[in-house]
Amino acid sequence: MTNVILAALALAILGLVLGMLIGYTAKRFAVQTDPRIEAITELLPGANCGGCGYAGCADYARAMVEDGVSPAGCAVVSEENFQKISQALGQDSGKRERKVAVVYCSGDNGHARRVALYNGLNDCRAAAVLSGGGKGCRFGCIGLGSCARSCQFGAIELRNGLAVVHPEICKGCGKCTEVCPRKLIRLVSAETKAHVYCNSLDKGPAKRKNCTAGCLACRKCVKAAPDIFNAQGFLVRAREGAEISDELIASINCPTGALQSVADHLRSGKGKEGAA
Amino acid sequence: MPSNEWLTITVGAILVNNIVLSRILGICPFLGVSKKIKTALGMGGAVIFVMGIASLTTACLYRWLLSVKLDFRIGSFAVQNLDMGFTRILVFIVVIAALVQIVEILLQKFSPALYGALGIYLPLITTNCAVLGAAQLNAESGRGILQSTVYGICSGMGFALALILFASLRERLELSRIPKAFQGTSIALITAGILALAFMGFSGLVK
Amino acid sequence: MNSHHLPAAPHHFAGGIHPADGKAMSASGTIRIPPLLDKYFLVIQQNIGIPPKLLVKKGDPVKKGQLIAEAGGPISVPLHAPTSGTVGDTLDIPGANGAPVPAVEIISDGKDEWCEPMEPYADWRNVSRERLLARVKDAGIVGMGGAAFPTHAKLSPPPERAIDTLVINGAECEPYLTADDHLMREAAQAVITGAGICAKILRISHVLIGVEENKPEAITALRAAAKGIRDLSVVPLHVRYPQGGEKQLIYALTGRKVMAGGLPMDVGCVVQNVGTLAAIADAVINGRPLIERVVTVTGSPVAEPGNFRFRLGTPVRKALEFAGGIRKEVRKLILGGPMMGFAQSSLDVTVSKNTSGILLLAADEVRQFEAGPCLSCGRCVEACPMRLLVSTLSKVCENERYDLADENYVMNCLECGICTYVCPAGRPNVQHFRRAKAELRTMKRKN
Repeated sequence: MTNVILAALALAILGLVLGMLIGYTAKRFAVQTDPRIEAITELLPGANCGGCGYAGCADYARAMVEDGVSPAGCAVVSEENFQKISQALGQDSGKRERKVAVVYCSGDNGHARRVALYNGLNDCRAAAVLSGGGKGCRFGCIGLGSCARSCQFGAIELRNGLAVVHPEICKGCGKCTEVCPRKLIRLVSAETKAHVYCNSLDKGPAKRKNCTAGCLACRKCVKAAPDIFNAQGFLVRAREGAEISDELIASINCPTGALQSVADHLRSGKGKEGAA
Repeated sequence: MPSNEWLTITVGAILVNNIVLSRILGICPFLGVSKKIKTALGMGGAVIFVMGIASLTTACLYRWLLSVKLDFRIGSFAVQNLDMGFTRILVFIVVIAALVQIVEILLQKFSPALYGALGIYLPLITTNCAVLGAAQLNAESGRGILQSTVYGICSGMGFALALILFASLRERLELSRIPKAFQGTSIALITAGILALAFMGFSGLVK
Repeated sequence: MNSHHLPAAPHHFAGGIHPADGKAMSASGTIRIPPLLDKYFLVIQQNIGIPPKLLVKKGDPVKKGQLIAEAGGPISVPLHAPTSGTVGDTLDIPGANGAPVPAVEIISDGKDEWCEPMEPYADWRNVSRERLLARVKDAGIVGMGGAAFPTHAKLSPPPERAIDTLVINGAECEPYLTADDHLMREAAQAVITGAGICAKILRISHVLIGVEENKPEAITALRAAAKGIRDLSVVPLHVRYPQGGEKQLIYALTGRKVMAGGLPMDVGCVVQNVGTLAAIADAVINGRPLIERVVTVTGSPVAEPGNFRFRLGTPVRKALEFAGGIRKEVRKLILGGPMMGFAQSSLDVTVSKNTSGILLLAADEVRQFEAGPCLSCGRCVEACPMRLLVSTLSKVCENERYDLADENYVMNCLECGICTYVCPAGRPNVQHFRRAKAELRTMKRKN
């Protein structure tokens, strides 16, 4: 019995001695790291999506504290946390604008003409090096889903051969805009209510041959609201963030349906005619 | 010292009785840190380092403190023939843990480059059963201090070898299409088992 | 007999395959000359490098062989009208790579009148090499084996590079194609003359013409035309695809290896296609520019397959009519050969300077595949003529690890198509590598 008590005592003394030794060493040879880095890493969303351009949230936090990078690079963080991060850095944040991605195409399988059977890799960028996917329009959505696969948040849906972004899920990180080989995805203000969903610069008749939902640049919309719609050659673009009401769209009555409200564009595919 | 004893210690520790693949110790970091060859190299280096120091320290501790039979008296309190050898596992754990902690702190202070390469793995190996296992095997076998240290370092090299091999396999596996049921840890475990089978081929290499 | 007795190419290049030939259906007969068309659609850029600058506008009258676009820079060649008539619209037509390309329409007046030829150099041996070189450029000659690299640039290697051998590519290793074969049989003299002109421009005398063994008539014709010429040998080559690849050809004929990322001039060689040589001969001796070329129209759906001397700008639609039309359902239309050619989605593509063949494949000759996982069987590695680790490359490209692809030398891929051809899992390897190269080029440009 004494052996056990003695052993226990010996170990307790050993533990104490070693503990003090470690404590002393830690204090004496401590290396200073900025506590803000960890605090900011906690505030960031932790998705590690890379949208900021850094290798994960911890790396971005480090860059913010050590290199003075602005916290505005993170599109995913909540407004509240964004303010807190700005405070922690001693910066004045200002209001951030929420952006979402939009695929500027209406050419799904029901509207776009197919000129060839594509039998190859199921990837838009791979199809692009091989004369592109089989649809006639060389500006339009190839429809093999590279953007959908690149989206970490699952915001892009492949609907009948056309990519559609769900703005309520989209965080505006911009990954999809880099992936699309045709560069037809753009980041716009989340406030925009309607778009001309077409990217083709082809002339009217050629465009019409390739897709029944393409913008013909007939300029009906431009005439109806010249401050909102701007015709550039054979394609019309709506001004970002402009107020486009459903009544305005109905009164314009776009002949191909390329001009659509965001809500309609999301909803279609459920038996609606006109653009996809 | 007859030369084949050194051969038994070195080749035995690295290949024949590989601490991971034959003795099945240290599986936790083996599976955890083997996704990339780069991290495997770092971890392997850290393990060799720690096992060397730990083997040395524990061998000294065992030889000079724990195996000695204690006889002393404090006043009327007498101790006779106290052999503290039975506490060796507890003592080893505590000492190794403290040692690794101190080494980590010193490393971070004095060699940031080395700390960057190995430092993050040191907490992982603090109470790794491979380190403790090597120390325990040394104590059991009754080897001298020098042999124990060499055995510790070679065990670490065996660990590093197994880890780097496994990491190379896993990097290739990552590029292949694994059936859903096997993705992730399951294919890793199956591969580890096959690797262990392969290492059984070394048995009989040294006595 | 030549003074150098060379055995049949002593060097066997690594890898390669021997696919079914398919040449029999277009091997017999002679080169046919089709009738004149109403319209020709000349693609403006028919060379690698800078496109030529258009000199004419709609409504201008032109004569056959007249200059209609001048060279746009040092790596560029001029373009000439294929027939006499009027210039029509400048428009976009489908290009061989799938994207639309700018082209100019030439409306024929039916007279087919030549313009004034450039000065004929019948006695070319006494013309300075600078003049000969200028003539090669002025005639708009590019590599007609498929690369379309401006020939005058190829014949002007930098002075630090010592050239000692002219290698002539008469291999025509692609299945189905027989254009070069017929050219060598019927215009052997032009080919030999062209070789002599190139040798003079390069200031060398050692010429090696490589022709695959399955073209015995061509070898005989060339040897007859080369009688008495010193240091020019016609060497029969083993029949193996891609024997006509320039690195493989150089190795087979000379035993020299062009290193990864290198060029033939690094080992003292310049490679030219037989078609290019015939065009050079015509340009120098007769003063005529490049306005037509021999094209094989073949495939089981073609009624009368064979070889034709098509003018540049002939639409494929018309070319097929000249070949007797289509007699059964076509699944694929390929410009070029089945290994390296490009599948087309429109019959409105036109013949360019580097169009060697128009190949039609029927439904039972084309397989729709679904790519499976790599079996690591190693067939592709065995067959790759560039000794690449194709299976590894295929897997890393599938996982989009282009950094690893670069480490495995994907940039040296010839895109010869062998790996896709032999893969039992049906993997589209060439597409993977094309994409990898495009991604790597983009990444390098960004940095």
